[in-house]
Amino acid sequence: MSTAAHAPASYLRPRRDWRALLTRHEMLLLYVLIAEWLFFYFAGTSTNRRGVIVGFGTWDRQFDILRHSCEIGLLALALTPVIITAGIDLSVGSLLGLCAILFGKLWHDGGLPIPVAMGLTLGIGALAGALNAILITALRLPPLIVTLGTYSLFRGLAEAITRGSITYTDFPEKFLFIGQERWLGLPTQAWVFFMVALAMGLMLHRTTFGRAFRTIGLAPEGARYAGLPVERRLALAYVLAGLIAAIAAIIYTARLGQAKADAGTGYELFAITAVVLGGTSIFGGKGTILGTLLGVAAIAVLKNGLACLPVVMRLNAAEEMSGLLTGALLLVALTASVLPKILSNLRPHRHTSAQSTPQLSQ
Amino acid sequence: MSSPLLVLRQIVKNYGGVRALRGVDFDLRAGEVHALLGENGAGKSTLIKIVTGAHSPDGGTITVVGQRVVDLTPATARALGIACIYQQPALFPDLTVAENLALRLDATNMHARIDWTARRARATSLLSRIGAAISPDTEVRALSMPEQQLVEIACALGSGARIVIMDEPTASLTQKEQRLLYAVVQDLRKNGVGVIYISHRLEEIFALADRVTVLRDGQSVGTHAMGDINEAGLIRLMVGREVAQIYPAAQSAPGASVLSIRGLGCKSSGVHDVSFDVRAGEIFGLGGLVGAGRTELARILFGLTPADSGQITLAGKILHLRSPQDAVAHGIAYVPEDRRRHGVVLDLPLAQNITMAVHRRLFPKTWLRFGAERVLTLNYIRDLAVKCAGPDAHGSSLSGGNQQKIALARWLATQPKLLILDEPTQGVDIGAKNEIHKIIRRLAQEGLAVILISSDLPEVIGMSDRIGVMAQGTLRTILPSGSDPHTVMAAALGTAA
Repeated sequence: MSTAAHAPASYLRPRRDWRALLTRHEMLLLYVLIAEWLFFYFAGTSTNRRGVIVGFGTWDRQFDILRHSCEIGLLALALTPVIITAGIDLSVGSLLGLCAILFGKLWHDGGLPIPVAMGLTLGIGALAGALNAILITALRLPPLIVTLGTYSLFRGLAEAITRGSITYTDFPEKFLFIGQERWLGLPTQAWVFFMVALAMGLMLHRTTFGRAFRTIGLAPEGARYAGLPVERRLALAYVLAGLIAAIAAIIYTARLGQAKADAGTGYELFAITAVVLGGTSIFGGKGTILGTLLGVAAIAVLKNGLACLPVVMRLNAAEEMSGLLTGALLLVALTASVLPKILSNLRPHRHTSAQSTPQLSQ
Repeated sequence: MSSPLLVLRQIVKNYGGVRALRGVDFDLRAGEVHALLGENGAGKSTLIKIVTGAHSPDGGTITVVGQRVVDLTPATARALGIACIYQQPALFPDLTVAENLALRLDATNMHARIDWTARRARATSLLSRIGAAISPDTEVRALSMPEQQLVEIACALGSGARIVIMDEPTASLTQKEQRLLYAVVQDLRKNGVGVIYISHRLEEIFALADRVTVLRDGQSVGTHAMGDINEAGLIRLMVGREVAQIYPAAQSAPGASVLSIRGLGCKSSGVHDVSFDVRAGEIFGLGGLVGAGRTELARILFGLTPADSGQITLAGKILHLRSPQDAVAHGIAYVPEDRRRHGVVLDLPLAQNITMAVHRRLFPKTWLRFGAERVLTLNYIRDLAVKCAGPDAHGSSLSGGNQQKIALARWLATQPKLLILDEPTQGVDIGAKNEIHKIIRRLAQEGLAVILISSDLPEVIGMSDRIGVMAQGTLRTILPSGSDPHTVMAAALGTAA
């Protein structure tokens, strides 16, 4: 604030502050991820009786981690802009289930070719997102309650359509390629995941849409006073979330080779965890796609790595352990993100009494 | 008359560097209605907050019924019989009238069994004492604003208050309700209660009050018996400051009409029948008291609360403004009154704040162009002499005056035809205030049509080429530049002086 008003030419290029760069949330998360990975590499890799390396430190295992994180990863990408607007979408996991069922039904019962069924499913996902969007922007209902409602609604629909028993299987080989094979060395669905990540990253960090999301999250009234189309931008975030949930549904179906009504149950919570772990503020306004990707990776590595630890394998407690540690990781990350602020508040401030803002007029 | 109920001596109150009260003397006798009068920001509200214990004074003494009081808190104030009826009643909307009264009056025995019959009976008797036809079982939510005020008054009566403060009680009342309220005030006076009565309506003060104290710039400029003073004298006391500041003068005559509004109104915000023109290069001041409808008018012109009657014409085109986007698209810019909530997004860098309203022009393909953004930002930082660490500094790191410049820059970047400024120098230090005045004058010089809303009387008189004065939701009169402050104040108060 002390700098002179007349800007020198050096202002024309933003200054890079390396220390700030190395201590920002994404970097801290990257250190955690590397530490996590190294730990599991050394503690979870072993050689079996035939002298073959098994466990965490194999390429197969790494690809497996990637393959299994694509669906939750996609949902996390869908939720990042929503949470940046200070909203939430609890319905994405249920929508994944509904879209999977409808995709299976369109192909199996409707007799549609796979590509057409895919296209229709994407449209249905976007429509379901639009339902959330209308309830939230036109009727001004709170996102938490709206999507809690559609969370039950979408899952209920999926179960009603299948009467809780039908599972669509026997998908053609070509379709299963998306979920079970590799393309250019990587699991096929990983390419979809990365494409969506790139698109969302560009939108959030390189376009006016991302600017609008952030502004709405920080100051919804301020955004309105700046003439930003607040309702349209909010609606876009929820429609995109629905669309991406439909993509995740197709990938899920291709990976398992079957579409059933309970697909994606509980995924929304993992996705929210990944987003928040990645540094997106649940109060809105802050967050990056890179952070979300790292958050997804940290959770995926933790979950898979634990399953490779001999102790955990003996106890057969991989699920429980991963739930416990994911929760702990999230709470530690949240605490770490507010710690600097709390510490600086602890230092005594003189001259800042309770009433520091003048309220002169009535 | 009898002994004083309340004596204030040399009350001082500072908010940060702002001296809100600089040694105010005030006293209130039993059975008296004592009016408190003053411009916006003269210190009335601060004085009331001190009497009710909401804020503690930085100096001076408070004596209630002969007893010196130190450390006055809201609770002790209530115990001493001080009650305040605010303009906006502070009742629980989801509880019934009887429950609201009980919450205030039975605060001490919250654990006892609830005696509903007694509660209802007391509510009924209190309400009938002030002639209010309100059932004690009505939820407060269902009551109108004046009815809620009556409940507040009933509450003050029920607590056995000896000192009742009324802050603009008639601002939202109809004529009939006003007469009811006047009767209640007379009744209070008869029962030996002292009433501090704040109002901008002079005729009301002359009808009700026994004495009047005028505050100006945090000081009392005199207490008079109502018989000893007339309206002109009161206005002189309220205004009577020297116009010390020099305002940049206009150097060219205004051009063609840019904005023309006819019979504009909006029921939900209380604005009605507003007509005026603003010409290119002209600063059209909007004076008036808080609540006169000036900000509400600005919100209509910016599409935040769409008009339901009348016509807005901008540069010869009739506009139907349904949203701020409409207004921005047609070249209307609005720098809002609440800078920290609406004017600037404090957690965003200056660059993003400045380009926020020009996304479409600066980034036509929706891709951000960081270089262009930086150049634009630096130009405005230099042009408006914003003191900051650079385009990446956050809004929160700036002083009030510099934040205001950023809010202004955001709208200048849109190259508007009409610029509406709502209290642009409120809470801004003198130096920055002067700079902002020069900027406004320069913008007008460059051909912009400016509407300047200001509660600062010298500012609105010194800056404006014409001064529209608003009161009670409509434009009362248009006065020429350099008008006598007394004339402006008289128009704002709704009297002919």
